[in-house]
Amino acid sequence: MDTLNLLLQGFITAATPINLLWAFVGCMIGTAVGVLPGIGPAVAVAMLLPITVKVEATASMIFFGGIYYGAMYGGSTTSILLNTPGEAGSMVTAMEGNKMAKNGRAGAALATAAIGSFVAGTIATVLVTFFAPLVAEYAVRLGPPEYFMLMVLAFTTVSAVLGKSTLRGMVALFVGLAMGLIGIDQITGQARYTAGVPELMDGIEVVLIAVGLFAVGEALYNVMYEGRVDETQNRLTSTHMTKEEWKRSWPAWLRATFIGFPFGTVPAGGSEIPTFLSYAAEKKLSKHKEEFGTTGAIEGVAGPEAANNAAITATLIPLLTLGIPTSNTTAILLGAFQNYGIQPGPQLFDTNGALVWALIASMYIGNVMLLILNLPLVGLWVKLLNIPKSYLYAGILVFSTLGVYGMRQSAFDLVLLYAIGLLGVVMRRFDFPAAPVVVGMILGPLAEAQMRNAVSIGEGKWSIFFERPGSLTLMVIVVAVLIIPRVLRRWAARKAAAEAGTAPA
Amino acid sequence: MTQHSSRSKPLQTLIGVGIVVLAGLLAWGASSVSSEAGYGGVGPNFLPWVVSAVLLICGILCVVHALTGGFRDLEEGSGDERAHWKGFVWVSAGLLLNALLITTLGFILSCALCFVLSVRGFKSSEGELDLRLNAWIKDSAIGIAVAAPVYWMFTQLLAINLPGLTNTGWL
Repeated sequence: MDTLNLLLQGFITAATPINLLWAFVGCMIGTAVGVLPGIGPAVAVAMLLPITVKVEATASMIFFGGIYYGAMYGGSTTSILLNTPGEAGSMVTAMEGNKMAKNGRAGAALATAAIGSFVAGTIATVLVTFFAPLVAEYAVRLGPPEYFMLMVLAFTTVSAVLGKSTLRGMVALFVGLAMGLIGIDQITGQARYTAGVPELMDGIEVVLIAVGLFAVGEALYNVMYEGRVDETQNRLTSTHMTKEEWKRSWPAWLRATFIGFPFGTVPAGGSEIPTFLSYAAEKKLSKHKEEFGTTGAIEGVAGPEAANNAAITATLIPLLTLGIPTSNTTAILLGAFQNYGIQPGPQLFDTNGALVWALIASMYIGNVMLLILNLPLVGLWVKLLNIPKSYLYAGILVFSTLGVYGMRQSAFDLVLLYAIGLLGVVMRRFDFPAAPVVVGMILGPLAEAQMRNAVSIGEGKWSIFFERPGSLTLMVIVVAVLIIPRVLRRWAARKAAAEAGTAPA
Repeated sequence: MTQHSSRSKPLQTLIGVGIVVLAGLLAWGASSVSSEAGYGGVGPNFLPWVVSAVLLICGILCVVHALTGGFRDLEEGSGDERAHWKGFVWVSAGLLLNALLITTLGFILSCALCFVLSVRGFKSSEGELDLRLNAWIKDSAIGIAVAAPVYWMFTQLLAINLPGLTNTGWL
């Protein structure tokens, strides 16, 4: 009952006209960002981060939250109509949804994606409402060794699971950690890697890295390699679902919500695994298997899209209760909290309860707003796709300047932004994942502080990490995450080889 | 059929070498950080050494992979096999001039210039570079129409400091 009371308080804060307006504007910008190719929610939030100077914390968190889930709704539109998934999570939607759109069922695909997102988002928000305080209560008992191992777990999963190559994932992660080292050491106050440049004393802003890698890098990559790529757009049809389509969609939505949610809550990140799992489950259970990959099966859109949304919503649990970001966007959100001097973590529910509950309440409100913004108005959003690419990217560059320059008023940062953009191009060209850089950069200094505190608690002995059951368990999980996929792959390869060997040549 | 540039052996080797050089620079920097550890036993130079050591190993592995059959499990970057450098130069000029001029020209004009030059770059990579006066004027107008409202919103409504051409706050 206590939770409900707190949630009610949250609704009272979130439903003030000014906060409703922020939520609405956030959802609008988020949807636009999702629809437009070239920028994702992480970059949009990063570019708008300067508003934290002036706007109070609750309002701006509601605003950023709106952008975050708005982008998920908008992303499905582009995937279905253009077959260009903006991020990994909408890849499956693009596969199946685009097949449906090619067969004249774009409207139904868009509708099941939007309603599925609503259903999954709402259920996931209910789960966040009830689970987050429990997790926070438990997390208070974690000491530095457990915290450090949790962060190592986040590092391992983000670099080893995302992308195909563990080696390139590790490079990305450690480049991010190296960036995080620049500036004043938190514990002894010593300057590291500043090379005497005063601008580097405060460290590099996460915003600069995110905007550089994702926005400037994307624009430069586009102008270098994708100038002549022509995109064909599918025709939009009425967003009406038949009775049969409803009947096939809703079990998929529900199943996918419960597949997606757990993946968001563990500090592992990545919405591609749950979306693929949901796709596989729907394909297996469907009575219309022949439609998958041919004419497009509605379950194949409904499930992954719902799984994606549930996972995204659930990433707020590790962010709010542990202070551990598991996606690019939550990493930037952590940066936004830090701008207000708020450190998300187990104490957040006590110290900034009003803010947290208003944020959670605004997620319920935002989901309803997004459903309204996306179903009847989808035609309007699609018009955004008519902006010529040259103007779109030039505009993105102007906004990148705003986001980066607005933070510190330093022209040096703009040169650095360009350099990071070049790094982004090389990384994208040679298939290095970008997310580990951002996560490593923001989580690195926090992990370092926890590690040094842990070793001090152990009076200089590293055995502290083995002696405590919590941290030992986490260490075992880390090792498992590193080893199990390799063993499975080798086993599958051996099995395939054996089968090929016994088969008649 | 030319080879996709991401499969190029020299380029991949170069990236690996770059990572090794970065590791070396980090190690050089780490050697100048004090190891004074206080009670903990782990000083501020510990993580720098770990990071440079891991990057050194990763860099060497990348070089080895590049020389023995290329990066493993590589997904080719999308788009053309070769870079379009002319467009890249236009966009780079836009971004760097913006960095150079933002404090003297102010946000609006400097960003409008960046906008115009970037549009040239993208048009050029689409094979439709338009250098006629009309196109310059039109794009400048659009650039100002994009930058000016942003500038006013951030400086007037949100009171965020952005450089102006004058001190009035309106330009």
